[in-house]
Amino acid sequence: MSLLLLVEVTKMDIISQLQEQVNAIAADAFNTFGALQRDSPSVRLSPNYPEPPPANPTEDATSFAEQPKIMSAALVKAAKQFDALVAALPLSEGGEEAQLKRIAELQAENDAVGQELEKQLEAAEKELKLVQELFGQASDNCFNLKRPD
Amino acid sequence: MATASYPPPPPYYRLYKDYLENPKSASEPPPAIEGTYVCFGANYTTDDVLPTLEEQGVRQLYSKGPNIDFKKELRSLNRELQLHILELADVLVERPSQYARRVEEISLIFKNLHHLLNSLRPHQARATLIHILELQIQRRKQAVEDIKRRREEAQKLHKESLGTLDGHY
Repeated sequence: MSLLLLVEVTKMDIISQLQEQVNAIAADAFNTFGALQRDSPSVRLSPNYPEPPPANPTEDATSFAEQPKIMSAALVKAAKQFDALVAALPLSEGGEEAQLKRIAELQAENDAVGQELEKQLEAAEKELKLVQELFGQASDNCFNLKRPD
Repeated sequence: MATASYPPPPPYYRLYKDYLENPKSASEPPPAIEGTYVCFGANYTTDDVLPTLEEQGVRQLYSKGPNIDFKKELRSLNRELQLHILELADVLVERPSQYARRVEEISLIFKNLHHLLNSLRPHQARATLIHILELQIQRRKQAVEDIKRRREEAQKLHKESLGTLDGHY
């Protein structure tokens, strides 16, 4: 629970983060395959066909060889982050019934404390009225310069 | 159903003409709708429950049963997802025409993942409620303590003032 509070202040709640992470993994996979399909050099289908024309020199050869590495590293990193988020889930012990039981307990306690609070409030208001009356009398006496009797 | 492009507001305001003098002259508001209703031509339901995967025609990959170990299932689904992505890469290299089945399996895993996460939301709602109740109890207890303290202070002052007043007579 405290983890939930901590995350609330800086980012969204953990379940939304998990959902975003799932979508991020999907986007990474999608982009990985798309980039590889788009940029990879053609495959030679048969020795009868001539060699494919040389690759466009503007495409940096080294960056293309590194692309799969970079993208797969990003995929693995996203998956690891997902695992970390799952580990951070504050899932309490027992499922729905335990939670409902706890809610009933807390409601009962809340009602009891609420009644106590009302009682104290009533008594305090009565005392306040008393003090206000006394103060009124004393100030009246002062005002009228009555001799104390 | 209103089909005019700028329909006037509903004429119910006329019922409340004498409301200030006689609150009972106007009719009661209608009771809350139950079940399904139509709003702006679309059907909505008042029973908000997450439809199970079977109802959406999607195969459920994680184990069913009353109490699901969410962390375990989420982690195993993640691992399966990674394996399927690897498989897809392999298939694209060796037998490119068979990509469709792999892609379907990957999307099935994603659907299961999202459904699992969505079914965590009621648990989160109850946990939030528990947290709010605990906070409220704590605040109420604090308020009771504060009032008790103030009352004691006031009673002490009262006794003192009575004492000094008596001392003057």
